[in-house]
Amino acid sequence: MSTRRDFLRQSALATAGTMLIPGFLKAFDGNTLLPDHKKLVVIQLSGGNDGLNTIIPYRNDLYYKMRPKLAINSATVLKAGDELGFHPALSKLNRLYDQGYLGVINNVGYPNPDRSHFRSMDIWHTASNSDEYWQTGWLGRYLDSQCNHCSTGHQAIEIDDVLGLALKGGQQKGMAVRNPKKLHDTLKRDLFQQLSMQQEHDEPMVSYLYKSLAETVSSADYIYSKSTIAKSKVTYPDSEFANRLKTIAQLINSGIDTRVYYASLSGFDTHVNQANSHERLLLTYGEAVDSFVTDLEQHNNFESVMIMTFSEFGRRVVQNASGGTDHGTANNLLLINKSLKQRGFINETPDLEKLDSGDLIHTVDFRSIYATLLDHWLGADADMILGNKFSRLGFV
Amino acid sequence: MINNAHLHNRAAFGVSVVASNLKTGKELFKNNTQNKPLQVVVKPELDLQDMKSLSAEDRKKIFQKSRKQVLELNVAWLQQMTDPQVALREKMTFFWHDHFACRTQVAFLAQQLNNTIRKHALGSFKNLLMAVSKDPAMLQFLNNQQNKKDSPNENFAREVMELFTLGRGNYTEEDIKNAARAFTGWASNPLTGEFVFRERVHDAGQKIFKGKSGNFSGEEIIDMLLDDPQTATFITTKIWNYFVSQEVQDQEVIKSLAKDFYNSGYDIEKLMMQIFQSEWFYELRFVGNRIKSPVELLTGIQLHTAGRFQDELSPLFIQRTLSQVLFYPPNVGGWPQGKEWIDSSSLTFRLSLPGILLRNESTDIQAKDDGDVNNLINQPRKSTVTFSVNWSLLANRFASGGSEENLEAVEQFLLMRPTSKDNKTMISRFAAAGSNETEFIQRAFTAYMSLPEYQLN
Repeated sequence: MSTRRDFLRQSALATAGTMLIPGFLKAFDGNTLLPDHKKLVVIQLSGGNDGLNTIIPYRNDLYYKMRPKLAINSATVLKAGDELGFHPALSKLNRLYDQGYLGVINNVGYPNPDRSHFRSMDIWHTASNSDEYWQTGWLGRYLDSQCNHCSTGHQAIEIDDVLGLALKGGQQKGMAVRNPKKLHDTLKRDLFQQLSMQQEHDEPMVSYLYKSLAETVSSADYIYSKSTIAKSKVTYPDSEFANRLKTIAQLINSGIDTRVYYASLSGFDTHVNQANSHERLLLTYGEAVDSFVTDLEQHNNFESVMIMTFSEFGRRVVQNASGGTDHGTANNLLLINKSLKQRGFINETPDLEKLDSGDLIHTVDFRSIYATLLDHWLGADADMILGNKFSRLGFV
Repeated sequence: MINNAHLHNRAAFGVSVVASNLKTGKELFKNNTQNKPLQVVVKPELDLQDMKSLSAEDRKKIFQKSRKQVLELNVAWLQQMTDPQVALREKMTFFWHDHFACRTQVAFLAQQLNNTIRKHALGSFKNLLMAVSKDPAMLQFLNNQQNKKDSPNENFAREVMELFTLGRGNYTEEDIKNAARAFTGWASNPLTGEFVFRERVHDAGQKIFKGKSGNFSGEEIIDMLLDDPQTATFITTKIWNYFVSQEVQDQEVIKSLAKDFYNSGYDIEKLMMQIFQSEWFYELRFVGNRIKSPVELLTGIQLHTAGRFQDELSPLFIQRTLSQVLFYPPNVGGWPQGKEWIDSSSLTFRLSLPGILLRNESTDIQAKDDGDVNNLINQPRKSTVTFSVNWSLLANRFASGGSEENLEAVEQFLLMRPTSKDNKTMISRFAAAGSNETEFIQRAFTAYMSLPEYQLN
């Protein structure tokens, strides 16, 4: 088991001479996240994925009645359970289902749902109630709880250029890295290298900025040097999203000590002519996830990786007049892992008879899923992180 | 010693390179009578009655146009922030824009609220609070259209107390329930974009609020909130955190400022004058240690270089990448502050920004998508940033002496805290690679602005 000091020494050796370790970083010994092989990958489908056209209630007449044009023809549905099946573009997800690697939780949401994208996403990111406004994200608070005084941001990585709220804690923040090599190259410039070597300043706020920069340079260095260790034999589909998952696989398979990864796929706000665009998105999602899982399997890492896919809300049950769907509320949430304790369709199918102003009514609070993951998967204090007690589910 | 640059950093958006001498606090306040309302959107473009008779296609076009106008408003305001004539008023408007955070897709309503805030930005907080509380965009944003006698919606009442006046923990849930009843019927007329009181859905019954009972109206609730000195304390503390220091809180001074603020009948101008004309405001412990918000960083670079964006998308792209888009606060709580702005990627981008703007360095940064297909702000996914600076103008001012002297002048102009010897050496080497005076100055500006110290004002 290597300590933080070891890795700093190693990464300094790896880039001999180009990066000197700032004194204040040397002072840290250990105190990082406990090394544990379990990792969480969160996939965000931005825009509000149409859950009913993702996992389809193909025997439900109401579904076909309320979506005369948009419903997926039951003949083409990839039937998985007695009542539910997959969109034809999701054959790869169907494979994971058949292998027992997929768990679907239906009717996930929260009380007094908000139908605005940014507000509902905020609620999912912070795990607040819908009448509360929190400034920190649930995974950021996980970092706060785990790594008191720990000095790098790569304990949680978002594959993006901009860090989202979910990974921002009160003291700790995750790190946004879209491309480890590019970030490394950017920070390799003389300016950043020189600045990252300075630390002592009279004014604490100046020191804070220099320290943040030094940590960024050191983390980017570490991530880049590690990211090239594993070689993927899997051919990923040609999409930005697949690239992002490939980067995650690369980092996991290289043995980097990151516990949480975050990646987004956007375009799910399908108000108009949904059929084609939604199909394309599901295909992109399913194929990329399939390659990702295969990649992890080949490196014997699938067991230790939990993949959770969510969207800020589902869509209205009734189709709209433009061949699309409008913002809804409760939705399904997907879990992928090699040894789920509950798999397949974990709870009841959506009830299309009992709607709340045309929208599905949630039966599972998404924070129960967060709590289960934090507690049972990441070994953290979920109640403290979520600021509330939520019942645990049985999938871990 | 009175440092006017410090004054201009905090009371305005920074020091302009073309200003020959800096206004003193007194002069700054003398100017504030000027008020330039934003006039991007001419009239309410959304006539909901007529809307019903329109085809879906035409309706979509109107919404699209309105959303585009919100972005035009954004760019127009950003531009106005660098106008020295109204700098103080614009800074206050920016502060209240954050305090009274609101989003609307209707450009006219966005402009109207912004202009209402601008009008009262230095006036009486009483008038400001009442005007914002009766503002159609705000009432819609906080769901007061749905707040009716038979089905009260508490959102508006809660935020008025939690965010606008008392602050969390200074009221009870019962206060919220009763205040919500008093605000029933506060709505807006979609045809005119004006406040209306719908008496039919108003609950005129007896309420108990903050220990008193009566058939309170919404106005009376607001008056009672203003009667509570806690409102003065809450607002003064927020102003202190924003304009003076988030890190160092001098409780004695804050207490006395709050008391004076309350006794003045909530005179904002008086409060700000007290702060900016005090001696303590200019003490070193409050200078050059506040992290600029993205909008302040952006306007600061414009003022420091007298540079201008050559297209509308560039400033929007930068606002998005740094997570502060005018008219799009993250939620009703407003934007983060101080260290909350800094993470590894935002810091890297902030330090790279001068190179991108001033030396046309390329960037392939992708700003985040907020999921909303109709939000035009999501559309320029990548952007080439175009920004132009008249460097010979700057060379005239800063390249008159020896190179060391010149660098010293640039540093003093751009940084509130001197940087390290190592950095000075690095910058001097970098600037010396310029083939003439103009290039020397361009390089010196870029390098000094790329230092972490430049993130502070």
